[in-house]
Amino acid sequence: MQDVLNAAQLGSVYLLFALGMALAWGTIGILNFAHGATFMFSAFVAHLVSQAFALPLPLALLISVLTGALISVATQVFAFQPIIHRSRNITTAETRILIGGIGVASIPLAIAQRMTHSAPFGINTTYQDVVWDLGLFRLSSTSLIVLIAGIGLGLGIIFWLRRSKQGLALRAIGVDSETAAGMGINQFFLSIGTMAVAGGLAGLAGALLTIQLRAIAPETGDQLIIKAFAIIVLGGLGSMTGAFIGSFILATVETLVLKANLGSWVDAVSFGLIFIVLLLRPQGILGRKEVRRT
Amino acid sequence: MIDWYNSNSVLLQTTLTTLLLALSIQVSMRVGVFSFAGIGAFGIGGYLAAIGMTKWQLETIPAIAIGALAGAVVVFLLGLLIGKLTGLYLGMATIAFTLIVAVLAINGGELTGGASGIFGALGDITLEGVALVVLVVVALLTFTELGSLGRQLDTVREDPELANSLGISVTRYRRISFAVSGLIGGLAGGITTLTRSTITPEEVNFHLVVLALTVIVVGGSGSWVGALIGSIIFVWLPTWLDFVSEWEELIYGVLVTLAAIFLPKGILGVIRDLIHRWQSSRAKKAAGVIGPDQDPHSISIAETALPAGVGGRTPNRRPASTTKEES
Repeated sequence: MQDVLNAAQLGSVYLLFALGMALAWGTIGILNFAHGATFMFSAFVAHLVSQAFALPLPLALLISVLTGALISVATQVFAFQPIIHRSRNITTAETRILIGGIGVASIPLAIAQRMTHSAPFGINTTYQDVVWDLGLFRLSSTSLIVLIAGIGLGLGIIFWLRRSKQGLALRAIGVDSETAAGMGINQFFLSIGTMAVAGGLAGLAGALLTIQLRAIAPETGDQLIIKAFAIIVLGGLGSMTGAFIGSFILATVETLVLKANLGSWVDAVSFGLIFIVLLLRPQGILGRKEVRRT
Repeated sequence: MIDWYNSNSVLLQTTLTTLLLALSIQVSMRVGVFSFAGIGAFGIGGYLAAIGMTKWQLETIPAIAIGALAGAVVVFLLGLLIGKLTGLYLGMATIAFTLIVAVLAINGGELTGGASGIFGALGDITLEGVALVVLVVVALLTFTELGSLGRQLDTVREDPELANSLGISVTRYRRISFAVSGLIGGLAGGITTLTRSTITPEEVNFHLVVLALTVIVVGGSGSWVGALIGSIIFVWLPTWLDFVSEWEELIYGVLVTLAAIFLPKGILGVIRDLIHRWQSSRAKKAAGVIGPDQDPHSISIAETALPAGVGGRTPNRRPASTTKEES
């Protein structure tokens, strides 16, 4: 029972992280490789502020969310949009965005590594973790916050995309950006908004994971990028529900692998998953089929 | 000169192995395959060479050869498996492949030395030997960049559908590129490992992908010359400028981002553009007797339009006036 809870909690963290990436990639077509660095650096900024004085939990989260949104929007405005403007077609733009993202990701990583000497860092909060013993399992208040934030925001974004006007516009861009532009959708503001939301989610995930684990290493973001990619591919590009399901599947499988005492193989799960899904069902569980020649 | 050569032989060797590593990715990119499998081959080649030296008591050259061949075979098979994928999907799948190699190395037990890797695999490697290997690789790659083969590969990259309709087998070239990429990556891994005498799973990491990509993107992805420019910059820049070695990762990140935005063809592309501009301005000056700002092509048309006798007598003045009227 404790394992189910652990898996659910791990899945929530993955979900918070992957949602932002899935949202940006599935709608405005940007696979942001700097998402992991955004995640890490948001927590790092909260860490820097918290060195001056202990932060209340909501303030720590707010700082991280705002930093994440800021980094993400800056990446979009100063790197990705110039690349799109200068690219001949979508394929070259995609590749250059990936390369640009990898470049951008090195910058916050280098700063954080230098300032912490590559040691893990934590956030100093006034928040006290409370553990409730519920017989079948033990639930900590941090786990509860992570679970509520992950599942709540996950469902929230799924419904927002389905029901709201902006959600409809975003989905329209994801299907056919030219026609969407013809229908009067302002892609510039929507893409900035999407990146802000994506970055904010990364920041929230960063702060929550740091508080939960007490400390994270600056390199944590790099590993999460590949995992999030596995999640998005598994769930299906463009489907937030898919990302939701994918996060919990990956977390469950990883928990099972850990349970079987195969700890050093945990990372292979997500890498292997990428292969298997791309080979057997390239559009993922819930994805629409992408038609692209050669 | 000899002194300089001796005191910098380590850096020179690093430049050459970095070049090999970068070439292993560039080979795929030149046929439009966005694959990082060469980095995985680097791990395979490095580990097999080290195992060959320490466990199987092989000589240096056979150890490296086994590693390189294994890299080629594994990456070729990977290519058969995932060759249908395109763009980002292929890129990410091959990154996953590279990281799986690292996970296998961690879990290889006795054979791979687990998380601490393999030590004491010092090969008998000279700078001349490495230079020879690189020369052979570069010579072969130059052959693929010139003439009709070069044009075919360019077509495969720029417009696969057109290539197919011209009877160029896109699939075949892509498969070959996987094998070559694995071979070069394996060579790079073997040579690097036997020079340093150690390899750990940590080395075959995302960091290596970033390094190889950085070298190519900044140098230029169109030709091995670009990879060479990139390797020289990244190996030598930290030794020239102190603040670069201090902020290495940060500066590389900025450079890659700037290159991705402003210089999609890298430094090599800028140099080629400059040479082209210089040549065409010289060509204009050669025709400059007529008028420096006129296109030589339109003048020749004007010339032929004139009656033969007139054009023959006053070739310099008359055509100029005719072109003016035309425009």
